[in-house]
Amino acid sequence: MKKKVVSLVLAGAMTLSLALTGCGGGGSDSGDAPASDSGSGSEEASDSGDSEGGDKQFEGITLKWWGGNAENNAGTQAVMEAATEKLGMEFEVEVNPGGSEGDNILKTRMASGDLPDFLVYNSGSKLHDLNPSRGFLDISDWDIIDKFDDAFLSSVTIDDAVYGAPQSSTQAGAVIYYKPDYEELGLEVPHTWDEFLDNCKALADAGKTPVYFTGGETWATQVLFLGDYYNIAAKNPDFADDYTNGKAKYADVPEATRSWTKYEDLVDYLNADKSAATVTDGNFAIATGEATHWFILTQQLPLILENADNPDDIGVFGVPGEDADDHGLTVWEPMSWYVNKDSENIEAIKAFFEFYYSEEALDLYFETYGANGPSCVKGYELPESVCNAVRVDMQQYFDDGKTVPALEYQSPIKGTTCEQMTTAVGLGQMSGEEAAAMYDDDCKKSAVQLGYDWE
Amino acid sequence: MKKKKRLLLLGDILGVVVTCVIFLVPFYFMLVQSLKSKAEANKLSISWPSELHFENYIEVFKHGNYQLVTAFKNSGILTLFTVLGLLVTAAMAAYVIQRRHDKVMTGIQSVIMLGLMIPAAILPTINLLQTLHIYKTMFSMVMIEIALQTPFAIMLYRGYMASIPRELEEAARIDGCTRWQIFQKVIFPLLKPIQATLIILVGVQTFNDFTNPLYFLPGSENTTVQLTLYSYQGQLASSFNLLFADIIVITLPMLILFIIFNKKIVDGMVAGSVKG
Amino acid sequence: MKTKKERSLYPVWFVLPSLIIFVIFFLWPIISSLYYSLTVWNFDTAKFCGLDNYKLFFSEHSMSSSVVHTLIYAFGTSALKVVLAFFIAIFLTSAIKTKGFIRSAVFFPNLVSMMAVGLAFSYMMHPTKGLLNVVIQAFGGTAIDFLGNPSTALISIIMTDVWKGLSISVVIYIAGIQSIDKTYYEAASIDGATGWQQLKHITLPLVAPSQNSIIILSLIGGLRSFDLIWAMTGGGPGFSTDVLASVIYKQYAAGFYGLSTAGNVVMLILISVIAFPLQHFLNKREEAIQG
Repeated sequence: MKKKVVSLVLAGAMTLSLALTGCGGGGSDSGDAPASDSGSGSEEASDSGDSEGGDKQFEGITLKWWGGNAENNAGTQAVMEAATEKLGMEFEVEVNPGGSEGDNILKTRMASGDLPDFLVYNSGSKLHDLNPSRGFLDISDWDIIDKFDDAFLSSVTIDDAVYGAPQSSTQAGAVIYYKPDYEELGLEVPHTWDEFLDNCKALADAGKTPVYFTGGETWATQVLFLGDYYNIAAKNPDFADDYTNGKAKYADVPEATRSWTKYEDLVDYLNADKSAATVTDGNFAIATGEATHWFILTQQLPLILENADNPDDIGVFGVPGEDADDHGLTVWEPMSWYVNKDSENIEAIKAFFEFYYSEEALDLYFETYGANGPSCVKGYELPESVCNAVRVDMQQYFDDGKTVPALEYQSPIKGTTCEQMTTAVGLGQMSGEEAAAMYDDDCKKSAVQLGYDWE
Repeated sequence: MKKKKRLLLLGDILGVVVTCVIFLVPFYFMLVQSLKSKAEANKLSISWPSELHFENYIEVFKHGNYQLVTAFKNSGILTLFTVLGLLVTAAMAAYVIQRRHDKVMTGIQSVIMLGLMIPAAILPTINLLQTLHIYKTMFSMVMIEIALQTPFAIMLYRGYMASIPRELEEAARIDGCTRWQIFQKVIFPLLKPIQATLIILVGVQTFNDFTNPLYFLPGSENTTVQLTLYSYQGQLASSFNLLFADIIVITLPMLILFIIFNKKIVDGMVAGSVKG
Repeated sequence: MKTKKERSLYPVWFVLPSLIIFVIFFLWPIISSLYYSLTVWNFDTAKFCGLDNYKLFFSEHSMSSSVVHTLIYAFGTSALKVVLAFFIAIFLTSAIKTKGFIRSAVFFPNLVSMMAVGLAFSYMMHPTKGLLNVVIQAFGGTAIDFLGNPSTALISIIMTDVWKGLSISVVIYIAGIQSIDKTYYEAASIDGATGWQQLKHITLPLVAPSQNSIIILSLIGGLRSFDLIWAMTGGGPGFSTDVLASVIYKQYAAGFYGLSTAGNVVMLILISVIAFPLQHFLNKREEAIQG
């Protein structure tokens, strides 16, 4: 009787891992990896690997790696199969639960010196939190790092040591929208928040659902808030530093408060099942035009496109601000590969990564899986098969220099209940200003735990 | 008396109907989802599948390199050793605690009963296991499960023990049994009814434990059945059918255990409460 | 003299296997958590910070509401289980023929993991396509956003918890009722007592020990409860179903181990403050009733 409660104290963690992850962590759990069969990649890889002779210097080596369903996608599996064929090594994946659950397990395993050969984890502040030098190999002397652009490298560099290599492409926290609705009503891509609301009104009048909200998977509700950072930074270039030092508060900086009150403007425009809808529901809703806009990470694009009739139906624009001439995009660096510094197979991993960033393998990855945004491999151009939402819509912001890295790449501090507040404001249960003030308190707590002196 | 019969019949009918609606419909719901196609299950309707997809069950087994088979093996071992260990150690402890009324025993009992109140401390436990170099071992997992469930088991045993007359032990003593033999040959066999209750409750608890294996027994080769639900986490909404098929598959062993011990569950408690 | 004999019959070392396992794997970590709660702890290093964690924990904005939710949840589930299980147990100890079937059916939810129950019920409570709303709408009602509306979310989880946990209480009650001496009822019938009077004056007082176990177990279970809440709402929407254990968990998940451990200590104190006096009171009541 009592038993059944005794040790289950922390169960339910499954939902949690979805729920608690920050947007940065979203990569690991948005996870509708098209390949539901997580282990089969390595299986098949081993089969095909045996069929051909040639120069397979790493034959007989099995590399164990750890990543979420999102990273163990069809693209990754295809590249690994190709690597097995070419280089001989085999791969065995251990799928992590993602989100904060995954973070905890990783931290614990790092502390106990029990890491796989290589693994996927966030870049940016979450990497800092890990104290990577105690478990990850400094790969700054590997040739591959010359291929990566500076924005990416800075997100995986700590004290001159480079730890990571990009698992995928960059992505943005932006609006993904269903273009046929825009064409049908003759709407233009909005460049200010007011224009955006006008579009929503027009869509609502036409009987459509203007904005999709996924209260059933709370991490995703943060994207409007986090993706609005471009607009905060545009007016307050020092916001990140001031915020880290406890000088800038969300409740005090008008543009920052606005990030919270934007949710209020949308309350009447959301889907009927806003409190329960999941990210997977969202993928489907945007792909089929069930809803028109969705504030979400563009890592969802490949998954949305799986359900869409025509890839050109789907477009992307940055979260609009006040200034029509300064409409930009908040960018996330990709999840990264990290190498266990105590691995016995470092040569094999190195060879695999050299292959992974070859034109051939990159093409294979992006053609098989799709891209979340422009690649951070310098000079590499995404294959034609990648959707226009990435190659045209998003690329434009990069070409115009209108991008800014998300706050999590510039400050280690993030309130732990962020997603609960964005959900509550989004569902109209709390005012934006209230949430901004509460979020400041929340951040203070994080700051104290991270050793900052906020007063 | 006729009136009473009719009343009873009415009670039967009402009882069955209400029970079915409240307690069985959710299971029916899970069952039908598990037999649907992905798209149909996504609608969450309770209607019978338009087409039966038994292959969902095969897919659940194949998923992730037959991860479910490994999980069944691990959960089986964990449950078996936890139940066995607990049945013996808790019976020994409860026997002495119930029979002796001195201060030491009362003290020990209060300390152990604290376990019913206090939630476990996960992080310090991991820390301890690492220090002892037994982190991530089945041994430590079994020990933790036993530790967590000891208070409850002792509580049940103690209640039941009170119904066993002391004269038995004294008689056995006169027959020349050692103290261990008295326990092993006389007392332990008499505990069968309450042990049936314990096997069910502890077995279900351990087999269905999600959190503790998650923290204390990480790693794909150590996976347990509840953790297999994770595999469908990322694509939760898009593979409800597989999720529910998995739920049903991992619930079956406990259902079988329940069918075996069903009748005895109450018996153990009845006797226990007589003089408890 | 009796004491002496007892000692010789019942060796103290019999307690040791249980006690050692319990102390090493349960008690020691809890004791060390008292120390860690006074530190900023990241698993590698523990930096002493005095009572800061406790101050921070109490300044948590969802703290007071989470305590209220915890109490509502614990007393709500406990009261429902105590009352509902009693009537079900009475029903199942009557002369009806289908009691075997019904008792098994009531026990079924207990065989399924919390995780699975939480998932299944949150789908059945889906605001647009969930089974419950389909039924409500078929009868002409308007759909309820069970888990998405702050005013219904907590009660929805409480109901699910009762659904899953009721059977154990029923079993304890049945055991209690079956062990009541039948002659009481016979005597009462002869005296002309009605069924209701028998229930009130014989059954109810005599199942007091069973009832006390149920109250204590379900209340403590409720105070610590977390898994189901987390599976169904994650503490949301907003903070409307956050309980102490989920606040603690979130801090743990954020990597604030010292802070989280302090929360654990707070919860321990809260449970003790409620459980120990309650147990004392119930024992007194039991003695009073049974003379």
